[in-house]
Amino acid sequence: MRILIVDDEPVNRSLLLHMLKEEGYTDCFEAEDGTEALRLAEKHQPDLVLLDVMMPGMSGFEVAPKLKTLYKASYLPIIFITALDDRESLIKCLEVGGDDFVSKPFDRLILAAKIRAHSRIRLLSKRVDKQNQELLGFQRNVDREHTIVEHIFSNAIVNNKSVSRFFDYKISPAATFNGDLFLCAASPGGGLYFLLGDFTGHGLASAIGALPVTRIFRAMSVKGLSVSEMAYTLNGMLLELLPPDMFFAAVLVEVDASGKRLTVWNGGMPQMMLKSETGKLVRTVDSRHMALGILEQSEFDSVCEVFDAQYGDQLFSCTDGLMEITNDEGRMLDEDGLQRWFLAAPHVTAEHLYQQARAYLGEAEPHDDMTIAIYRATPLYELKDNIQLSKTPFEINMKLTSADLQNEHVLETIMDMINSQQGLNWIRSNLFTVLTEMFNNSLEHGLLNLDSSIKRSPEGFIAYYDEREKRLAALQNGYISIAARYDPIGKALTLIMEDSGQGFDVERVTNPDLDSSSGRGVTLLRELCENVEYANNGSKITVTMKV
Amino acid sequence: MAISTNWEQANRSLTITMDEKFDYSKVQEFRHAYTDTPESPNQIVVDLAETQYIDSSALGMLLNMQKFFNENGIKYHIVNSRPQVARILKISRFDKKFVISER
Repeated sequence: MRILIVDDEPVNRSLLLHMLKEEGYTDCFEAEDGTEALRLAEKHQPDLVLLDVMMPGMSGFEVAPKLKTLYKASYLPIIFITALDDRESLIKCLEVGGDDFVSKPFDRLILAAKIRAHSRIRLLSKRVDKQNQELLGFQRNVDREHTIVEHIFSNAIVNNKSVSRFFDYKISPAATFNGDLFLCAASPGGGLYFLLGDFTGHGLASAIGALPVTRIFRAMSVKGLSVSEMAYTLNGMLLELLPPDMFFAAVLVEVDASGKRLTVWNGGMPQMMLKSETGKLVRTVDSRHMALGILEQSEFDSVCEVFDAQYGDQLFSCTDGLMEITNDEGRMLDEDGLQRWFLAAPHVTAEHLYQQARAYLGEAEPHDDMTIAIYRATPLYELKDNIQLSKTPFEINMKLTSADLQNEHVLETIMDMINSQQGLNWIRSNLFTVLTEMFNNSLEHGLLNLDSSIKRSPEGFIAYYDEREKRLAALQNGYISIAARYDPIGKALTLIMEDSGQGFDVERVTNPDLDSSSGRGVTLLRELCENVEYANNGSKITVTMKV
Repeated sequence: MAISTNWEQANRSLTITMDEKFDYSKVQEFRHAYTDTPESPNQIVVDLAETQYIDSSALGMLLNMQKFFNENGIKYHIVNSRPQVARILKISRFDKKFVISER
């Protein structure tokens, strides 16, 4: 406890000093006028001031408010020691900023008790001040961290404008961070995917899961995976990542290149609505599944609803934050209310619905994130033009001997290699058909000498594949070599397959009749490829696919 | 994921839902899908919503299914095929043997 004594009379000062010493206050210093008092107060930061009123120069009444200004942040007790005893003077002591007064000649016991009482308040004030400083520091750290996280979020969760322009959407978080998530991405097969989801709760804790979901959604979109597979993968990831009381309700939608075919997985989200151009409700898509991140993978149901829209139809989806808004009378908007709003006119924008929701809430702030996304069915063929093709030429060669051929996943390796190149993933479905056709032809006829004619009867068809399995297991010699050559300038992929077999009669298999269970492969190759050439009596085939 | 089937007793309709890949590796499984029904079906629906990859043996399997039932008035549908798959069905003129449609 450091005490500053201010008095112009040396006798009074030493009297006070002596008394304080006896009371155990040894950290004291003296000022003989107001100016010195202010200087020392600034220098030594006292915890309490004993202040005389009548002094030459500045009076105590002038010094007190100046001292208080020096100590804005914390409480500095000032006790006036005064010879004045009229009521006005004593009241003034307190009005100018003093906290107490003692009349001269002072009663030692009373002064000591007052010093103790004020030092208690002083200590309390110092503690509060310290805590305030800590809180301020803490707040600054949180603010800084939020700025960093916000930066990461705003960079990580960005939808490509060429895709998002097919949507009318409105995102409105209840706090800085959004537990709702809207993502869209082009599909390599033309068309697009979108995801609208809602993590339990809101704010940073619920937003954090958005990062891995975004990453996985993007990676799977590039690969052109099905909505079922996306839902399954996201569920597995979130199950592992999220604490048990947190999950992610979501709708996942794939729209094909025509812009009309919709494949929807809805887990725990409000009903979706499909509205015709004239404003009629065509259908709804209700949640048929639990939210993501709850069920074990073995229990998970990835069944989707598939349906076709007409051009101009609008598919509406929103998070439950919108549905659960409550008005002044405590009535929730609910699914029915929302349906009325959306069907009120043929074209109701997301912004309009949002404003309507704010009006419904009245003075109240929404207590959950609200997100609305409306997709309007339009041909999406132009999205294909955004796909960048790899500029690097490459050639892959492999020679597969019997052991490799017995591995039923052998073609997947080369498929994966080709599909991993930028833009080539786009033709993966056709590439599969073409490669499988060439391969099965080489294997079944070149190496295994199977006769397609036995496939004509239903029993023969099964027998053929049984025989294929048997002969393949017993295969010891022979090989199939595969070469894949990509030409980025000609935008073409050339595939060459050669086997060590005897070849076959190419002419005989090129024109199958409609009912035949075999021979269709060659027709497919000719349709799917620019060029098909047989050589070496059919044991070598070269095809070129446009990319 | 694998092939799944759904039998509707009321109209004796069989729905076979294929997974991502419809190729020769599915020969046995696909056959069981239609031979294991409680009664002879009136209608068979093959749902290809999930199917991204198809080869000509799949086409063979579909035709073989029709031969198995020997054309006795059963309606055959292929539904929800993706554009690439639809194209292959079209090249092979499957629309003459199946009703290719949305559900």
